[in-house]
Amino acid sequence: MSKQPKTFTNAMRAKLAILYILVLLVFVFLTYRLYAITRDNGERYKKQVLSQQKYDSMTIPYKRGSILDSNGSVLAASEKVYNVILDSVDLNRDEAKIEPTFNALRSEFGINVTDVRGFFESNKETSRYRVIARKLPYEKIQHFIELQNAEDSLIAGVWFEEEYQRTYPGGSLACDVVGFASTDNVGTYGLEEYYNDVLSGTQGRQYGYMNEEGALERTTISAEDGYSIVTTIDANIQSMVERHLRKFDEEYHDNARPGNGANNLGCVIMNIHTGEILAMASYPVFDLNNTRDTNALIGMPMLDEKGKRVVDPETGTKLTITEENVGSLTDEAMYQNLNALWKNFCISDAYEPGSVSKPLTVAGALESGSITGNESYNCQGVLEVGGHEIHCHNTYGDGILTVTEGIERSCNVVLMNVAAAEGVGNYVKFQHNFNLGLKTNIDLAGESRTDTLVYSKDNMRSSELATCSFGQGYNCTMIQMISAFSSLINGGYYYEPHVVKKILNSSGATVQNIEPRLLRQTISKETSDRIVSMCNTVVTGEHGTGKTARPAGYMIGGKTGTAQTLPRGNNEYVVSFMGYAPANDPEIAIYVVVDRPNVHHQDDAKYATRIVRSILTEVLPYMGIFMTEELSEKEKAELEELQLEITAPEGLLTEEEEVGLEDVAEADVPEEGEKSEEIWKTFAVDPRTGYAVDPNTGDYVDPVTGAAIGEKPLDETITVAGLEDLVEISYDDILADLNDTKEEETGDSGEDTEDGDSGDDGAKEGE
Amino acid sequence: MANRFIFRKKSRVRYFDYTMLLTLIILLVFGLVMLYSVSSYDGSVQFNDPAYYLRKQAISTVLGLAVMFGVMMVPYHFFERLAGWAYVIALALLGLVIKFGVMKNGAKRWIYVFGISIQPAEIAKLAIILMVSYIAVRLGKQIATWKGFLITMGVSLPMVAAIYFITSNLSSAIIVFGITFLMCFVASPDYLKFILMTLVIVAVAAAVVYFIATHPDSDLGVRSTRILIWLDPEKYASGKGYQTLQALYAIGSGGIFGKGIGQSMQKLGFLPEAQNDMIFSIICEELGFFGGLCVIALFLLLLWRCVLTANSAKDMYGALLTVGFIGHIAIQVILNIAVVTNTIPNTGISLPFISYGGSSVVSLLFEVGLVFSVQRSIMIKDYV
Repeated sequence: MSKQPKTFTNAMRAKLAILYILVLLVFVFLTYRLYAITRDNGERYKKQVLSQQKYDSMTIPYKRGSILDSNGSVLAASEKVYNVILDSVDLNRDEAKIEPTFNALRSEFGINVTDVRGFFESNKETSRYRVIARKLPYEKIQHFIELQNAEDSLIAGVWFEEEYQRTYPGGSLACDVVGFASTDNVGTYGLEEYYNDVLSGTQGRQYGYMNEEGALERTTISAEDGYSIVTTIDANIQSMVERHLRKFDEEYHDNARPGNGANNLGCVIMNIHTGEILAMASYPVFDLNNTRDTNALIGMPMLDEKGKRVVDPETGTKLTITEENVGSLTDEAMYQNLNALWKNFCISDAYEPGSVSKPLTVAGALESGSITGNESYNCQGVLEVGGHEIHCHNTYGDGILTVTEGIERSCNVVLMNVAAAEGVGNYVKFQHNFNLGLKTNIDLAGESRTDTLVYSKDNMRSSELATCSFGQGYNCTMIQMISAFSSLINGGYYYEPHVVKKILNSSGATVQNIEPRLLRQTISKETSDRIVSMCNTVVTGEHGTGKTARPAGYMIGGKTGTAQTLPRGNNEYVVSFMGYAPANDPEIAIYVVVDRPNVHHQDDAKYATRIVRSILTEVLPYMGIFMTEELSEKEKAELEELQLEITAPEGLLTEEEEVGLEDVAEADVPEEGEKSEEIWKTFAVDPRTGYAVDPNTGDYVDPVTGAAIGEKPLDETITVAGLEDLVEISYDDILADLNDTKEEETGDSGEDTEDGDSGDDGAKEGE
Repeated sequence: MANRFIFRKKSRVRYFDYTMLLTLIILLVFGLVMLYSVSSYDGSVQFNDPAYYLRKQAISTVLGLAVMFGVMMVPYHFFERLAGWAYVIALALLGLVIKFGVMKNGAKRWIYVFGISIQPAEIAKLAIILMVSYIAVRLGKQIATWKGFLITMGVSLPMVAAIYFITSNLSSAIIVFGITFLMCFVASPDYLKFILMTLVIVAVAAAVVYFIATHPDSDLGVRSTRILIWLDPEKYASGKGYQTLQALYAIGSGGIFGKGIGQSMQKLGFLPEAQNDMIFSIICEELGFFGGLCVIALFLLLLWRCVLTANSAKDMYGALLTVGFIGHIAIQVILNIAVVTNTIPNTGISLPFISYGGSSVVSLLFEVGLVFSVQRSIMIKDYV
């Protein structure tokens, strides 16, 4: 048996047969199971399968349109960036790839692998989407993608999600105009907010669906990129403007009080024939790429949770944000302060414009025929209107002045007389014509409404008319004032101011041209010409208040403004200059407002005119406007230092011009030996301050113009909170208060007016 | 009679079962077609190559066919002498997994030899067939005794233990044990022992299932959750019951005639291991109940041809080799289909000749080679 090969016996065959039958039976049973599944649950499972097929439809981001300056330079653009996504489930499929993948993440992106590993270990069964690095530019992920696509790559479970990030190459350039957009494409402030719908595109989508045969189809609808906008802003002019505003701030920073050179600085340059804004800037500025940088707040007035100035309870001084206290702000207060920083001063802050509005008053009076323009008025430093004595800034009186001289010297009395001749009805009508009290509808987000901040025919009386004539008593925004003023000097055409001139689609083709929009004719061409010639004397005239605004080589015109703020007598002023160039055939208007300059005596428009001068010195040559005036040696040296091309005609300077230019440069220097009528010229000059001192009162007086400087605060605090309140408070009482407490004060006039004027260089001719 | 005479004259003409070869080739080709259909999505997602799995499997299949024809040409008694060596080598390879094993899908089951990944458990199945056949022949009638029975069954224990504890591969351990058990059953003349043993196993299994079902929070490890899932897969739909449930969805949604080849939706990332253990459910989804039935019929036909081979084998050793193969195929097919239909708890078992896996197909074709070798020794006259 053991030698013979054993055979497969019949018993074994029988058992094999049994085995086969058993297997057969099991197979039959399993077949039944298969059939049972199909029969019992087939329909349900079919639906289950279909229901889990729905692709999570994936959105494809669109590219937000760019914001370009008028020359095509990029002010804001969206760049494609990549988020690194970890698919833990995928990575977990191959243990050999886990470590190499982590190593690559560390070396390529500098990711802290400890955290990622911790997350991976605890979620490797479930997590398919985890952002482990954000917003990397393509250059940063390029090498990783090469590694990933290599033949025997050991990287798994990592992919990249596309996103767009908003960047502002100019940093803080034109920050108030541009505004900023969050990653989810919501624009805040400025163009980003106003043109949000234009800049935004349509998201694309990738999704699957079942066709009629129940088969799955996948469809991709690509994203539509947003439109780009071309602005009228010229980045070069804009940066010149911003540089000079910053320079002003540096010069007066922490000067008379802690903080910035002024609470607000604003400058707008506008093409008067189209309403295009060439530059619009304010100070302080902020970095659009880092809008929440609290360092930008330092130096600004501190606001509390309700947006009111914080006052030190012990000393009663108004607090400023400093490096030390910026951290102590509550979230709400921080929000208020950041909003104050982000908002566009030029369109959202209303203030009393002061004497800048005088040409508007005269234009209305001329146009309505109320005056011929050839009248003369006697200024004795004060005029009684409606029972109130309203002073001129020069309390000694300028004597008999023509209307033109009234503008040149910024005489309140002349203007009050002009307004009185014009009457409330005409005044209100023309103010409305000039769009004051109405939004200009500039294409920027955040423009203020000022309809409650001007008087109507019904609530304006003679005293309100008197103060409004020189720009106190009503409020306006910078953009309202420059738009109105532009119509005065361009022949009477009121253009809607605008910042965007063209809309482009994503491939660069023009979708829409935004043409200048002429709203109405405010005054006739003749009146306009007369106003231009009047305003030219502000700069050219012997007593002109705006001489210091004239840039070397050019002749410009304009009007100064020095407005008191509320409460009256707080010695806080808003000084400004509205200029235009060239003087004989204006092309651009420039408006600079210095809100409470950081100096001891704020009522001096030179703080504004000097800014205008330094800006125009650069801007006019840049715009290709030729010089018309001859240059002094000093000016030549100045221009050479600035490396500006001198386009002035060659020629010797006359003696007279020499003196005039000297004045421009050193306007503060008192001149001696002037006419005896100007008694303030005889006052002794305080060597410490450079101001003349009135021997009768001890007050400082501007040695050139005779205007009182640095009025002492009123004894009684006048509780005038805002203009809305003013209407209800008894006007007479306030006036009485003002006049009783401070007789010497220049130009007070009730309510909110006090001396509106200030740019004062010239009040020499008394009578 | 004339025919027989002629065959007798040409006594060198060997018997060859073309039916079995054809069945085998249909299974292999069908397997590759289905593998491509199932794996192309996963291949393109993971390797950027839809034919990734197909290519690797085709190479393994060609290699396996070469091995098969090689083994076929060798008289099978040659392997009788190698049984001991094969057994030792298979155990040694399992041992190597401890040190050189490569983790895949969370289990350490593979080793790399000259850049080729090998699953030692597949080799162990081949080795156990060779070894049990050898032992059973040596024991002869003694196998009927308890001692003989225990020796035969005991041979599988080191292998089963090594597979289970080193590679934590319960299903391969069950298969090795099952092959031994079935071969022993056929070789032994009596029934009682086997009936008793089957009853004991069934009783223990039923008790464990009952215990787990009534104490779902008890700590019996992974296997207990698998049993809970088996009892109610939808309760664990988002977790560990996901695979089982997705397989059922695939089968159920296929209906009677299926969605058509290539039209499976479940293979698009929903059914894990679709190209591997779960391929049968995708076959049912694409080709329906009818397609599944055809696959089962093909296996039955293959097994039937093997039964005929065993019955006609020249000697007991050849017959037992064939029985080993029958046991191997039967157990794996039954368990695989039982898993995808949730008839038994989920355990990873591949479908012979169809599922993706190089070691498996080469090792299976080696066994087919043995069966063909057994056939070649059959003289035509012996073939009934």
